[in-house]
Amino acid sequence: MFGAIPLPELSMILLGFLVIVLASGVWIAVGLGLVGLLAMILSTNVPIGQVLATTVWSSSASWTLAALPLFIWMGEILFRTRLSEQMFRGLSPWLQWLPGRLIHTNIIGCGIFAAVSGSSAATCATIGKIALPELKKRGYDERVSLGTLAGSGTLGLLIPPSIPMVVYAVTANVSVLQVFLGGFLPGLLVMALYMGYVIIWAWLNPDKQPERDPPMPFGEKLRQSAKLLPCLLLIVVVFLSLILGFATATECAAWGVTGALALAWWSGTLNRQVFLDSVMSATRLTCMIMLILAGAAFTTAAMAFTGIPAALAEWVKGQQLSPHMLVLALTCMYIILGCLIDGISMIVLTAVIVLPMVKQAGFDLVWFGVYLIIHVEMAQITPPVGFNLFVLQNMSGKDTMTIAKAALPFFLLLNVAVLIITTFPQIVLVLPKLAFPD
Amino acid sequence: QTKWNLPTAYPMDNLHTENIVQFAKDVEQATGGKLAITVHANATLFKATDIKRAVQTGQAQIGEVLLSIHENEDPIFGVDVVPFLATSFQDSKKLWDASRPAVEKKLASQGLMALYAVPWPPQGIYAKKDLNTVEDMKGLKWRSYNVGTARIGELVGAQSVTIQAAELPQALATGVVNSFMSSGATGYDSKVWESLDHFYDTQAWLPKNVVFVNKAAFEALDKPTQDAVLKAAAAAQERGWKLSEEKTKWYLDQLAAKGMKVQAPSPALAEGFKKIGEQLTSDWVKKAGENGQAVIDAYKKM
Amino acid sequence: MIRRFLDALYLGAGILAGLFLVAIFLLMMGLSVGREFGLNIPAGDDFTAWSLVAMAFLGLAHTFKRGEMIRVGLLLERLHGRKKQIAEIVSLTVAAAFIGYFAWQAWTLAFDSWRFGDMSQGVVVVPLWIPQAGYVLGLAVLFIAVLDELVVVLQGRRPTYEQEPPATPDELVERIASGGGV
Ligand code: NA
Ligand code: NA
Repeated sequence: MFGAIPLPELSMILLGFLVIVLASGVWIAVGLGLVGLLAMILSTNVPIGQVLATTVWSSSASWTLAALPLFIWMGEILFRTRLSEQMFRGLSPWLQWLPGRLIHTNIIGCGIFAAVSGSSAATCATIGKIALPELKKRGYDERVSLGTLAGSGTLGLLIPPSIPMVVYAVTANVSVLQVFLGGFLPGLLVMALYMGYVIIWAWLNPDKQPERDPPMPFGEKLRQSAKLLPCLLLIVVVFLSLILGFATATECAAWGVTGALALAWWSGTLNRQVFLDSVMSATRLTCMIMLILAGAAFTTAAMAFTGIPAALAEWVKGQQLSPHMLVLALTCMYIILGCLIDGISMIVLTAVIVLPMVKQAGFDLVWFGVYLIIHVEMAQITPPVGFNLFVLQNMSGKDTMTIAKAALPFFLLLNVAVLIITTFPQIVLVLPKLAFPD
Repeated sequence: QTKWNLPTAYPMDNLHTENIVQFAKDVEQATGGKLAITVHANATLFKATDIKRAVQTGQAQIGEVLLSIHENEDPIFGVDVVPFLATSFQDSKKLWDASRPAVEKKLASQGLMALYAVPWPPQGIYAKKDLNTVEDMKGLKWRSYNVGTARIGELVGAQSVTIQAAELPQALATGVVNSFMSSGATGYDSKVWESLDHFYDTQAWLPKNVVFVNKAAFEALDKPTQDAVLKAAAAAQERGWKLSEEKTKWYLDQLAAKGMKVQAPSPALAEGFKKIGEQLTSDWVKKAGENGQAVIDAYKKM
Repeated sequence: MIRRFLDALYLGAGILAGLFLVAIFLLMMGLSVGREFGLNIPAGDDFTAWSLVAMAFLGLAHTFKRGEMIRVGLLLERLHGRKKQIAEIVSLTVAAAFIGYFAWQAWTLAFDSWRFGDMSQGVVVVPLWIPQAGYVLGLAVLFIAVLDELVVVLQGRRPTYEQEPPATPDELVERIASGGGV
């Protein structure tokens, strides 16, 4: 319409507008849509409304994206089972000998639950529900207990399945399966870092950990752990359905729901009410995410009309920034963004600008997805907006800042993980390449 | 200066996209920059399924689409995917010449104008075992993705499987699908040799990508610019056919180099397909009515 | 009376969305299990994708009313009384304008699909306006819900989407885990 606004000015106008709109408390999906509208008004004369309707329709009517509500539903069902209790009772007898003792149940419990849930807050809440009171009762240091829970809960996003990974894969147009596979080893890496930290902490603070629980006969230990079998079985079922060719990557989400329903039925927690609650909760969470994705799909198209992303990618090329400098700059940006907004918004808000740059700099988009997910993990535990902090705030009655301080070491460890996967990208890429060699 | 956006669904290194980028350059040069066409490759602006609609409603001025994805809308859009009707570049060219007036008429009724068409390499069959006759195809897990492939699966007694293109490599690797019909190009792109080892060069059909423009946008150009566009389009069509033919050979050589058995169908298999082809052609004519019959007649006469 | 009707409308659309979630699940299981028995759901991928759209849009009003549509609350949470009311009115007006426009454009899309005779592109031929109806309806109901809220706030009442603080920790945990973010 106005046609001749130079790109740098246009970018600044749009960025400023986005910040104002979001800060004013307008719903994020609406804010994204408005930025797209403004971008198009300022740079083209095509029928804007039809671009909005078309791009949203075609990005939403997607077979691959249909895995998203199913992974969410699976988590909702499991959240309502007695899995957390079984997890604690099954794991704790085996961890008494490690320095740090039962603190490790938080990390390993979250790690296992992460393999069936795609959400960080749900992982944190499910494991915390039992672990937090039990650890307190035994006299464990509450600060470390809260910190490990906050940090380990975020594994729900890194260890597949993962809701934000589906969102990223759809946004970046890469294979969901590859991003899932890419997250697996870094997930183990983060667990190892966390456990290493707890062990060192326990060595340095021997006075802060309580006595061991009274020893349990070996048979009893096994009997307690046997309760973990259904959960492990569920992980195996989903994995095998994929490997053995019963399901495609998208369909294995449906197998996950089947398995979760079976598990809930087996543990006696599945009834009409639980079923209906899980369906409606999953529906609402999906709707919320899908509307944001809709706003983002339109903004992406609008940006393509303006030509900003391509120009920016060219600019990055011209700067001859070393790839590591680019990653460092992005890390700073994501840490700041992560303090202020939630993870899904963080992915979709930045994708349209960042992905062309990253591609230009020669990064693998699967690797970048895992890198980005680790930043989303950090966002879960940085104040003022961090969902894991909110969860624990309510479970423990402490205020956000106290919990954020307790989570700080784990935030730093996630940064270490980013450093490691940037230096050794193979950690991310080895599994996807094994499955999809080129 | 006029600016056009050209959305296309295929990546930058695809033969069609390379050709389009050249076309855009030609236009810009011939008009002295009066008409600038920005190519948005890889579905960054609109998805394949929406490009026709987008150009129709003026969201983009010009676009490219695999015409046959719109065959459910009008059978004439699917004439180039009637199996075993036109099975070589030469025949395919004839079929395009014979059907072009009808296709153009239909597009015109939607406010669109065809500029040029370029075929994909011919469609063959990928499988994991020897196929000597069509009976050997019975029970195959056969990917069907459009009317033609579904009907072929049905007629040979294969088991139709619904798999999206994006999931095809994984579906092949895990055995969800063990046979499908596509060009050498698709097979090469999805590294099909990792799971299947036979390619039958049946040349069943050559689907075409058509580049078309919004009629109103075209008419808004001055006469010399219009002429320049048409001239560049004619050149692009010629260049594209040559490019596609060259690449066909290259792709098949690559498949063979990766250890696949690339072969022409045996006489018995070809005979079986010929029968299926006759059946499907008459199916298509039934759907397409008089207009369709006229196109087929014109094609047969050429 | 009107209140009861509107609430039933949002909830009804929400339940319909829930049914589409179950439909997605059944379709995918059908595709996956069916293959083992030589059965195929023709265009099962199309039907799944359309169910997803219907689900995503029909459930919007219900999600919005329950306060599970996210926004950046940093500034908003620091406001009180009159200032807070004005901020909410601004947000809701902006949202109403955008969603109204969006719903109208979606209607135009579906109407054009009908006018042009646009068909699905898969193995099963379906006029595209049929799956697009869920998209249009969902946005229309959301538009009504936003207007409804605007009226509520203009009357000086507390917006429905602003939930009571949870009574028990469990309730909030559940709320965040099932609605706020991932
Ligand atoms: Na997970
Ligand atoms: Na944060």
